[in-house]
Amino acid sequence: MKTNHLKEWENELNICIRCAYCFEGCPVFKELGWEPDGARGKAVLAYGLLTGELEPSEYIAEKLFQCSFCRDCIERCSANVEIPDILAAARADLFEAGYVKDSQKRLLDTIEKSGNIFDKELEAPNYKGEKQVLLGCRLLERKDDSKKYLDLLEKLGVKTKTFNESCCGMPFAVLGDKKGFKAQQDKFRYTIPDRKEEVICVCTTCVFFIRKKYPDLKAKYIIDEIVERLPQYKDKIKKLGIKVTYHDPCNVARGMDMVDEPRMLLREIGAELIEMPTNGKQAECCGGGGGLLVSDDKLAEKLAENRVEQAIETGAEILTTLCPTCEFNLKNAAEKYNGKIEIVNLLDLIYEALN
Amino acid sequence: MGLVGIERLKGIVGAENVKDNKADLYVYGSDASVHEAMPSIVVKPTTIEEVQSIMRYANSELIPVIPRGSASSTSGHTVPIDGGIVMDLKGMNKILEIRPQDIYCKVEPGVIDDDLNRALKPYNFFWPPAPASSRIATIGGEIGANASGLRSVKYGATRDVVLGMRVVLANGDLITLGSNTRVTTAGYPIERIMIGSEGTLGIVVEATLKIIPLPKLRCLGIAKFNKVEDAGNAVTNVISNGASPSMLELMDNIGITAVNKNLNLGLPDVAAIILFEADGMIKESVDYEMEKIKNICEENKGFDIEMSYDVKERSRIYTGRKKLFASLSRYKEGIICTDLADDMAVPNSKISECAYMIHEIAKRNNVIMSVYGHCGSGVIHTKIMFDVTKKSHWDDANRAATQLYDYVHSVGGTTSGEHGIGLSKAPFWKKEKADSLNVMRAIKKALDPNNILNPHKLQDAPDDWVTATKLRYIAK
Repeated sequence: MKTNHLKEWENELNICIRCAYCFEGCPVFKELGWEPDGARGKAVLAYGLLTGELEPSEYIAEKLFQCSFCRDCIERCSANVEIPDILAAARADLFEAGYVKDSQKRLLDTIEKSGNIFDKELEAPNYKGEKQVLLGCRLLERKDDSKKYLDLLEKLGVKTKTFNESCCGMPFAVLGDKKGFKAQQDKFRYTIPDRKEEVICVCTTCVFFIRKKYPDLKAKYIIDEIVERLPQYKDKIKKLGIKVTYHDPCNVARGMDMVDEPRMLLREIGAELIEMPTNGKQAECCGGGGGLLVSDDKLAEKLAENRVEQAIETGAEILTTLCPTCEFNLKNAAEKYNGKIEIVNLLDLIYEALN
Repeated sequence: MGLVGIERLKGIVGAENVKDNKADLYVYGSDASVHEAMPSIVVKPTTIEEVQSIMRYANSELIPVIPRGSASSTSGHTVPIDGGIVMDLKGMNKILEIRPQDIYCKVEPGVIDDDLNRALKPYNFFWPPAPASSRIATIGGEIGANASGLRSVKYGATRDVVLGMRVVLANGDLITLGSNTRVTTAGYPIERIMIGSEGTLGIVVEATLKIIPLPKLRCLGIAKFNKVEDAGNAVTNVISNGASPSMLELMDNIGITAVNKNLNLGLPDVAAIILFEADGMIKESVDYEMEKIKNICEENKGFDIEMSYDVKERSRIYTGRKKLFASLSRYKEGIICTDLADDMAVPNSKISECAYMIHEIAKRNNVIMSVYGHCGSGVIHTKIMFDVTKKSHWDDANRAATQLYDYVHSVGGTTSGEHGIGLSKAPFWKKEKADSLNVMRAIKKALDPNNILNPHKLQDAPDDWVTATKLRYIAK
């Protein structure tokens, strides 16, 4: 197998001293328990492919795709080795060698065809203000919620402007389809009406990914906008008086270093926060990222169940989060627990407090 | 391994607890060392009976068995040099009993050090070895390596806080060693021989650990030095003047630069620092120790000494210290941190000289070597940092390691303070222990006559670590 993509990461793979510190919080390792399930094991597999000591196989592909890119390994790594980027490179080499599952292919074909992760035409609610707002695939599909979040921004004085969106291309990048990603990148870039102006992003994955892969664009996270504006509306906030626990989305806490702001917002709206044992930058992943939902949906579901159980143990009535994919995955998992806990986006709670 | 063997092992632990895919074997063929070699199969027992059955089978078929915890071992301890069965013990991870009234707890070997200490905290007790890898290190692994760490200067190494254990021998017999009491006498202390035996004498399946009352107060100090030798002298004098620090760590500028660069820690950019800590139940006693250590540091040209009881600040600094090892790979572009010559111990009066010699030997051999470690207990760590992709640089590294251990032995020091021997330190350790290797071989022969437990390690390891196994890096 050609390892053109992995080759770029040879030095990083040497920098990894295989100390095993990345075991500690890896949700996949915690669930499956064998060395190749953890970040170190996956880095060793990637190294084996790079050096030719290992031939590619369905099994190796399965292992390298069983990762939610939660970045917990980077958080624990003393040398800041970018394991998810190494795995993305390994996946790209595997993809080009034909190691792609039907479920993965289906998702990528869907995006190519419809411009979003759902197999249908999706339009953003029509807002014609000045400030560009990107909703992201998952929220485009939830029209009522999209409208709510746009109204939330309007309440805070933002004159929002929506546009005909196309997927940011994250699924192509994490599933290893480099060519597909390049094509989607062009499509995405040209849907943004004014690329020199700031775009407020509602989706956590989109904002993290755009900042990483589109350095020319100015992506602003909706929470930053809210944190800036909310103090002016303090007297309009209704205290909700609810008990919640908060699930830190990986891209928010570890990816964008945002741990305090959501907690501050919860305090502002009168929510009592009961933390789960792992939280902030150490928060356990729900399994929704890194393409795991299409690469191994059962594992993604199990990781979400683990997180829901931790949330239920806090005694909170609501598990709130910010990422629409976390929300989707956690909601599915919570169904098993007979309404013991409700999954609600933090934006909904803020909207309610301002209504 | 043949089909029959695989089926036999599946019959013992269940098919779901056996791995024989080449990819899995490749992953289980390395640890944190420079070595790699593939096992024939990996098994994950969850009961003592399963461990016994595996050993009976392996002994009858003369198959090597390599016990393995988190495999953070630095010198190839868990690398299966002869293939065979890797026994992953992380599945045996229950804390069996915590008895504060008897000052001990009982655990399975796969329990993680930090998890145990989290469980002991509500009882106001702790288990003190505290290796830097405590977040992932298993108790079984710590026993295998006789690990110690940040607090060994006051509380000793693993060997000092293990009261007893249950061990499965090479022939599958289960024996009980030591006791549940704080003192015991009569007979050979076999449990003490098991500690530090790196899995060559038996499989520890349960350990009785002495627990220590958790101090109510801890205070951390940082002293700066313009010369690493001055810092070394300060360490020597703190210990020889009867101070009782609960931590006494030295870090040179290479280490400081690496953790600052990587973790943005903001440690002072000086030639060396000493991190010191005192603990206790009342503030007066902690203050007394801290003041005493501070004065000795000042007498040895330490300056700008800061001390703090702040928990957050302490935790920030500890994190930096614990993450130093891997951070070193980011010290300089194109230079990789290898676990060579990673560990040694010297007599208390030689800390300063050893620190100087490490830098000197590095210069002589065109490699970079840091100086850090739990110097209060005599343990000094370094790492050899060089371009691992160039064959000629490996010769430099080997020469540097040889010169360093020759020096350490010449001053009465020892090859390993706490990381153990494995493969890459074995040539130097065998030189140091030349007149007692046959006694060790006799003990090994008595307990493992077929030489199946982690064979070709310690006294039986190859004389040349470079060719002992394939190296994990591709060097041209």
